[in-house]
Amino acid sequence: MNKLTDTTERIFSEDALKHIYECEQEHRRPTMQSVAGSVQITLGKTADLLTKMASRNLLQMKGEEFQLTDEGRDYALQIVRAHRLWERYLADETGFAETEWHELADRHEHSMSPTEIEALAAKLGHPTHDPHGDPIPTAKGEFVPHGGQPLTVMSVGDMARIVHLEDEPETVYAQIVAEGLYVGLEVRLTEISPERIRFRSNGNEYTLAPVFALNISAVPLPKNHVMASSDCERLTCLEPGQSGKVVNISPTCRGPERRRFMDLGILPGTLITAEMRSPSGDPTAYRIRGALIALRHEQGNLINVKRKGKNDNDNQQ
Amino acid sequence: MTTNSKSIPPNLLCESCPAHHAANLLKLGVNMENWDYAIALAGNPNTGKSTVFNALTGLRQHTGNWPGKTVSRAEGGFSYANHRYKIVDLPGTYSLLATSLDEEVARDFLLFGRPDVTIVVVDASRLERNLNLALQVLEITDRAVVCLNLIDEAKRHNIQVDERRLARDLGVPVVPTSARYGRGLAELLQAVDEVATGQTVCKPHRFQTESPMLKQTIGQLVTKLKATFPTLPNARWVALRLLDGDERIAEAVRKGELEELYESNR
Amino acid sequence: MNPTVDDILQTAQELRWKVGNNFHEQLMETIYTEAAQIADRSVTYPGKKPRFDLDRTIDGIVTSRLWGFPLMILLFTVVFWITISGANVPSDWIARLLIGIIYPMLKTGAATIGLPWWLSGLLIDGMYLATAWVVSVMLPPMAIFFPLFTLLEDFGYLPRVAFNLDNWFKKSGAHGKQALTMMMGFGCNAAGMVATRIIDSPRERLIAMITNNFALCNGRWPTQILIATLFIGAMVPAQLAGLISALAVVGVALLGVMLSFGVSWSLSKSVLKGEISTFSLELPPYRPPRIWQTITTSMIDRTFFVLWRAVVFAMPAGAIIWLGANIHVGNLSLVEYLINFLNPLGWLIGLNGIILVAYIVAIPANEIVIPTILMLTVLTSNLSGVGDGAGIMFQTDQVETMALFKTGGWTLLTGLNLMLFSLMHNPCSTTIYTMYRESGSLKWTLVATLLPLCMGFVVTFVVAQLWRLF
Repeated sequence: MNKLTDTTERIFSEDALKHIYECEQEHRRPTMQSVAGSVQITLGKTADLLTKMASRNLLQMKGEEFQLTDEGRDYALQIVRAHRLWERYLADETGFAETEWHELADRHEHSMSPTEIEALAAKLGHPTHDPHGDPIPTAKGEFVPHGGQPLTVMSVGDMARIVHLEDEPETVYAQIVAEGLYVGLEVRLTEISPERIRFRSNGNEYTLAPVFALNISAVPLPKNHVMASSDCERLTCLEPGQSGKVVNISPTCRGPERRRFMDLGILPGTLITAEMRSPSGDPTAYRIRGALIALRHEQGNLINVKRKGKNDNDNQQ
Repeated sequence: MTTNSKSIPPNLLCESCPAHHAANLLKLGVNMENWDYAIALAGNPNTGKSTVFNALTGLRQHTGNWPGKTVSRAEGGFSYANHRYKIVDLPGTYSLLATSLDEEVARDFLLFGRPDVTIVVVDASRLERNLNLALQVLEITDRAVVCLNLIDEAKRHNIQVDERRLARDLGVPVVPTSARYGRGLAELLQAVDEVATGQTVCKPHRFQTESPMLKQTIGQLVTKLKATFPTLPNARWVALRLLDGDERIAEAVRKGELEELYESNR
Repeated sequence: MNPTVDDILQTAQELRWKVGNNFHEQLMETIYTEAAQIADRSVTYPGKKPRFDLDRTIDGIVTSRLWGFPLMILLFTVVFWITISGANVPSDWIARLLIGIIYPMLKTGAATIGLPWWLSGLLIDGMYLATAWVVSVMLPPMAIFFPLFTLLEDFGYLPRVAFNLDNWFKKSGAHGKQALTMMMGFGCNAAGMVATRIIDSPRERLIAMITNNFALCNGRWPTQILIATLFIGAMVPAQLAGLISALAVVGVALLGVMLSFGVSWSLSKSVLKGEISTFSLELPPYRPPRIWQTITTSMIDRTFFVLWRAVVFAMPAGAIIWLGANIHVGNLSLVEYLINFLNPLGWLIGLNGIILVAYIVAIPANEIVIPTILMLTVLTSNLSGVGDGAGIMFQTDQVETMALFKTGGWTLLTGLNLMLFSLMHNPCSTTIYTMYRESGSLKWTLVATLLPLCMGFVVTFVVAQLWRLF
């Protein structure tokens, strides 16, 4: 692969490659203007950049139109790979907030050599998806697309599982994160209109503007699908003395925290009883598989349970 | 492999047995040269692993009613029935899937440190949670003894564990103990000695995967592993780790470390 | 043909795409399901469930809104009270034995076998006396505090304290278990460092280590008590003196706790941002403590462990003090040169050169701050008839001490700033070394060493300037 030596030029051309690649994926046609906008340089510089890239055999130019060569596509995929691996790393191995991942990854994707990328992948255990649900291309550039479609093209009554959340632009993504939406969440659409999209999940109702819904991709679920998390609530809703069975650990809980939960035996079907609350209000101690474990409020919110009332017969799962 | 295999569960000792004397135990402290067998001590945090360790070696590792006391591994020695043992107290972990440094230390020792016998200390009053680790240990090694500790505490909480049934299900000897009060240690040593010398042959339980898809996938990988490393005792465990993306294990496979170690262990 | 290693790894990699993202989860579920089945088959509950669940009852009391905190405060007050009041008497015995009886015997012995004065001075007046001092001051409180603390630990009470206090620690980005490492730090910061092992989240453990020094260790209590009595207690009528000086000491200790929270908070928001943070706190069942074993193991593990390290550092420190005071260049000893050099800096922060030298000398053990100050004051003011000679650490009574301070030019500001500086300065070398061993990081060890020192300089400087302004 011919690496461009000059650092800023490398960043520009890599950003351009990424942009053209994304357009290709979404079946849009990249233009001089769109490249200039995405790389954030003037049109004149963009023209120079594209010519240079063409001379390096990354692009094919036909007058105003241009498209990636196979080599250019491979290169673009490696940058995408670096970017998504970084996001995975930030999500799993650090304590940075979700909204900071994209920008940090954007900074690191250009500075990595292929060896460093491989080392990072190995360190993370060769992950297959980034935290937003995007597949991470392999070193050979292969990947399976998430196969979802935007929520906006579905119809009322459909059930779907979110498979991807677009992390650009940042303001839209921040809003999606703030709503508590995540990859893996199962939803049932209740309203689709030009003004808003409405859906239910986990007993909550969500209302989004179509701009936001456009950035959420989901795969439809079969009509007879039983929503995994229909009438469940958060573990923190249990008062001392009450019990519930774990439905799932929220997918927003990742990395060491998630594995620790599983090590403690918090898995679907596990019976958890709230035992006592700290006199300072938090944490709460829960009886889990015979052991008494204290969980903080934010941790309890990551665990969905189905309350076990006194009148419940126990044979339902 | 030894030929005089006994059926499982192991004989849980009669008083007439010559080895049944705690007096046979000679605590050697940190003096552990020329050992005949190496023992690893694994278990969940706060199950009394360090207490067992201290009782056997005469050392005084700090113990406390508080998980996470043993950080690095402690080593000590003792001699029993004319065999000299080196014993390594591994950090207490909930699991061996190597997500923390502690787990890595414990896992690496079990895999590469070639213990002749692994004692899995489990808390009798929280059996279910502790078996999670025990089952993982039994995936890695086929020579283990389960030390069913804190039996006194279980009794106090009105919990009774049928150790024979447990031994049958796990396929390894199970010895009830109360290490804090020195109870059951003679039986534990006897069981360890029998496994170490090959008088007891374990047929450890290997967990069944429920989903047919997983079973097929794992099977595919195991077949390949077995073809290349025919003597690998824990091929399935290696396959599971590879599928979980464990780079340390991939590295070991690449270098052929796994089998080599296993061979020199025989 | 057998598949090659690369082929195997390649296959594994391809299959990973097939098994999907949640393989780890499925695996854990399988293992736990089987663990549950096996446990179910062998576990029975004979007899009736006892009507009275002791564990639950105790938990109900020690974590209740009404009793939780008062009980906690009461327990720890008792532990500290027993430690402080109980340590005086044995401390005195040991001092009398080591300094009153053995020391003269050694001196006579040395004279009899004809050791040169400089050798007996270096060995006996320097190394032996420094060690004897450290042992007599440090051993008794630690031998009382650690076993008591270990008993509470063995019983299972300490995790409940972490449970009760976690909310406040959470707000400063720390772990509830830091309450315990801090408490341990009140006994000894080095032991507090070791105790941070119980915190399994890397970020919170680092925070606990860096802030442990703000827990006033038992080597610093005597300094606080003496200075508070002499300077702050003296400001009020005699009948109130005891109370006010006690309050001043408690005030400094509480200031330390608040600094601990503040520094924890700013660390977690700045340099430690992005470090992994997880919380896990298991509340183990109560277990009847075994008194005898607890005492022996805590003596060996904690008391002697800490004492040994202190002794190892006190001996060379004693030698250096003695040499510094007895090697003369021109008219002045080495140590006097250093004092003169540090005097301007000392003045700037409301202290003096002697105090700064004492803090350099006392890097091995905070206990020797006061005796070093006294010794150096005698030395530089050329007083005679107090103590008996250069290089010897000695104890004098309070009146004599106060008189000495007066000759050294001390004011209320000096006393106040000494109390503040005693709270905020570098940890002792034992603690620094322990932190390095435990964290394995030179960088964080340096932060833990220099951060409180810088804070000490800034705070005392500000106080001194304000004082002189008004």
